[in-house]
Amino acid sequence: MRYKKREETEEKMSVMIRFFAQFRELLGTDIITEPLSGGALADLIKEVASKNKEGYDAIFNENGAFREFVIIMKNGKRLDTAHAENARVADGDEIAVFPPVAGG
Amino acid sequence: MIAIQTEDVDIGKLVSDARRRNTGAIVVFDGVVRDDDITDMDLEAYENVAVTELENIARKATEKYQLLHVDIIHRIGRLSVGENILVIVVSAGHRNEAYEGSRYIIEAIKDGVPIWKKELTKDGGRWVPGEQMHGRRIERHS
Repeated sequence: MRYKKREETEEKMSVMIRFFAQFRELLGTDIITEPLSGGALADLIKEVASKNKEGYDAIFNENGAFREFVIIMKNGKRLDTAHAENARVADGDEIAVFPPVAGG
Repeated sequence: MIAIQTEDVDIGKLVSDARRRNTGAIVVFDGVVRDDDITDMDLEAYENVAVTELENIARKATEKYQLLHVDIIHRIGRLSVGENILVIVVSAGHRNEAYEGSRYIIEAIKDGVPIWKKELTKDGGRWVPGEQMHGRRIERHS
């Protein structure tokens, strides 16, 4: 069996982060990130959100966990926020983060 | 027709086009920008996901209430007081299916479709709070 070298497994990827509504106002949107392969989704969002304290605090609580009302989508599919804490990102993923919806 | 668009909607044409030979009832829901002491309203959507979810809602409503035709058109962008926000046209054989199908569709939209509204006032603006959906509740309208 051939094992991948460390530098191969930590190859950089391209992942798009999209914020909506008040999160977009605070943090911007359509942010292209280049995390290392196998990175945690929550860590990536924390890193991007940390550029604006108000934006970060809108999404994460004082323990660094997603606030209960925050909705996370990965490639158009909702993730339970508890599951999102442990989810991983892959090359080409589109991650959306938004507050409760209010259409209609 | 399922769409998210900035343009207004020709409701009369949608009603005409919703008629089928076995149509007995057509119900129109027209959501309108209400004057809650606001100047305008800004609407935004996660468009590709929202359209897919509207299509799923229309399909489920069609199956559940034996609908003959469904239109859902949600507008985005800046709208003034009195303008149309959301138009739902439902055609069915009988009034019960038409009313219930229409109600199912609007409640499903409010429950989970990624669209947001910001009310603009003279002093700034305020995001309209969502009614039900949050990240720990992902199963809806099964």
